[in-house]
Amino acid sequence: MAREIATLSPDETAATALALCRERRIRHLPVLKGGRLVGIVSDRDLRSSTPALGDSERAAALQKVLVEDVMAREVVTADPEDPIEQAANTMRERKIGCLPVLEGDELVGIITASDVMEALVCLVGAHEPGSRMKVALPDRPGSLAGAAGVFGMCGINIVSAAMGATREPKEEGAPRERIVVFRVDTIDTTEVVGYLEEAGYSVLWPPKP
Amino acid sequence: MAAQTLSSRAAIVHDLALEDYGFGGDHPFNPLRVRLALELCDASGLLKHYPFVSSEPATEEDLTTVHSLTYVRMVQKAGRDAAALSDLLPYGLGTPDNPVFPDMHEACSRVVGGVLAACRLVMTGQVDHAMCISGGLHHALRSKVSGFCVYNDAGVAIARLKEDHPGIRVAYVDTDAHHGDGVQWMFYDDPEVLTVSMHESGRYLFPGTGEIRETGQGGGTGFSVNVPLEPYTEDESWISCFEAVVPEVLRAFGPDLILSQNGCDGHALDPLTHLSATTRLYEHVSRRMHDLVHELCGGRWVATGGGGYDIWRVVPRAWTALWAAVSHQEMPEIASEDWLSKWSAKSPVTPSPLMRDDPEDYPQKPRAARIASRNEITVQEVLDKVLPKIR
Repeated sequence: MAREIATLSPDETAATALALCRERRIRHLPVLKGGRLVGIVSDRDLRSSTPALGDSERAAALQKVLVEDVMAREVVTADPEDPIEQAANTMRERKIGCLPVLEGDELVGIITASDVMEALVCLVGAHEPGSRMKVALPDRPGSLAGAAGVFGMCGINIVSAAMGATREPKEEGAPRERIVVFRVDTIDTTEVVGYLEEAGYSVLWPPKP
Repeated sequence: MAAQTLSSRAAIVHDLALEDYGFGGDHPFNPLRVRLALELCDASGLLKHYPFVSSEPATEEDLTTVHSLTYVRMVQKAGRDAAALSDLLPYGLGTPDNPVFPDMHEACSRVVGGVLAACRLVMTGQVDHAMCISGGLHHALRSKVSGFCVYNDAGVAIARLKEDHPGIRVAYVDTDAHHGDGVQWMFYDDPEVLTVSMHESGRYLFPGTGEIRETGQGGGTGFSVNVPLEPYTEDESWISCFEAVVPEVLRAFGPDLILSQNGCDGHALDPLTHLSATTRLYEHVSRRMHDLVHELCGGRWVATGGGGYDIWRVVPRAWTALWAAVSHQEMPEIASEDWLSKWSAKSPVTPSPLMRDDPEDYPQKPRAARIASRNEITVQEVLDKVLPKIR
């Protein structure tokens, strides 16, 4: 989450609010009154409540419309200790682009869709040198440990492992499968691909040479 | 040997000590690859007028232009077996990719020294073009061994060129199947160094970077050019992407010298990658680089090697094609009998009797059209992003 937060008070004008969005290159502004969070306003709320660009009445309207006229008063918030996936899920379900973060009554930060993206990149380790491998594992206890053990045996460090939903197996009667995407710290995956296949896991990428 | 006796306009920098750079055992980066390539050049009659030029190892001052001193010290310790594995691992040393080997600092400094010598030969005007095939270790980072690369020879060479010739504009062109990440990050904010890397998309392949949007930062924005190609790209689409991007960005930049990294691991037979190219690509890239250095920078060209892990069937022929272009000679059609009879028995696979792959052995894959059109979209996006900044 971002800890330096641009905020507004309810009696500021739409013009001020839009200028702040432009200057800080942000889209969401929490609204505080007496230090307490009373609403949130997005650049879209501000635009849709004022005449369009080029309209001669726009300038006057921007000065007349106040933040409290357009802000949402029921604000969905997060706690600093919420897991990132919970915040992401809340934003997805409520179709909103950000969550102010409250510690008790105090606004301590804001988390936006870009922060969630950033967290995703870190979770899958995409910012460190490595190879991406896609492996199908039987959906039963010990599969992930077994596959991870093969990397360990080869002395290859796992930078990240992301396991997805189950899927039907290719062959009838075989157990359901889970697809795992490993990022591993090696340029040469040939040996480990061989051992994974030998151990009964199917490597979907890279292909065998 | 004395520089005065260099014949004609090209030089090859090499000596036996450069073949000490290797990780031993059945590690894919086997120094035999260099030996096989140079012996094929020789057996093809392409070294007759070009005795090897020897070089001095790079100094610590050279290395620390782009590497941290603590890292250099750690490599020195590793090579003397004087460091614990737990101390080495943070520097990427002692992993299966990058195992420690005796005197590794010395061996790696020699490779950098070879490329420095090649640059000097070109900058002093003794030759137009120089090749050091041991160079091209483009993954080495400031303080980390990565992807078989300990010291970043191109990085050091470019940093030294900039010190010795203030204001010089250097273009680095990397056609290895892997992204040239180390060199890119070393000059990411520098508008005097243009780095161009064409590689298999990092969506799947090591090191995972080299996306279109990595264009540089600060004043250097636009001066890092990345063309991530789809897996199974094959010659046709690969070459048309090269032609669409490389001449264009080089002309816009206007280099004083071009340093090329000529990894040949995008070949269909390479065990580590999936680009499915043939020797046609490597001959094309070499010839076109030669045209471009004459068109753009008075011929000043330093060519290095790089990746390439089918050391019997691909590396010798790809790098013989490179040397033929560097030294203005024709590559023969047929592989030398002497070379084949010396090495075939030792090879676990059958080396090709022809210097060029037969296209019939590499039929186009069914998805070729789709892959080519995805690559075309990539190329357009790259050009739209960087050209306005470079000009």
